[in-house]
Amino acid sequence: MARKARARGRRSKRDPRRRGGRKKVCRFCVDSVDHIDYKDVAVLRQYMSDRGKIRNRQVTGNCQRHQNRVATAIKNAREMALLPYVATPQPSMENRQRRRRPRD
Amino acid sequence: MRSYELMMIHRPELAEPDVRSHVEEVENAIAADGAVTSTDFWGKRRFAYEIDHIHEGYYSVVAFEGGHELVARLDRALGLLDTVVRHKILRRGDK
Repeated sequence: MARKARARGRRSKRDPRRRGGRKKVCRFCVDSVDHIDYKDVAVLRQYMSDRGKIRNRQVTGNCQRHQNRVATAIKNAREMALLPYVATPQPSMENRQRRRRPRD
Repeated sequence: MRSYELMMIHRPELAEPDVRSHVEEVENAIAADGAVTSTDFWGKRRFAYEIDHIHEGYYSVVAFEGGHELVARLDRALGLLDTVVRHKILRRGDK
């Protein structure tokens, strides 16, 4: 019993998913958004990298449900040429020095 | 009867009044077997990428209610039109 509790305490301390920082909350859950519109390019762009890739859940902090909806919305928007499938980022000199290959 | 949303992209070399009248034609075709809820004409907009050597097009969104036969017919008809670059019909209220 005591051992179990200790083990759990240690794991929560070293939880790799929560390295250094607060757990992110899903923006859509906070605002209780039900429908994510594929026409709302400005919102969808926040969940894409400069290269046009869809950001993953670890980065966005979205819950699974909303992440799925964001992903399908982006894909629908791509089909209608509202968003790119691929884009070439224009890296600033500052960025290039700090990190050779940016994480997409 | 279900609610759908239709988005169309018309070729950029067309004149805007022609595109508008075509969207109206589509609306009338929908109204025959369903009901048009709202229409939104966006005007000319640049594409995020090149489609068949075209860089822009007229976007329009028509929300309507109708059955699946109407959707199937619409989908086929729009696919055959040369003036429509792309179109998409989605269920409304879905994610």
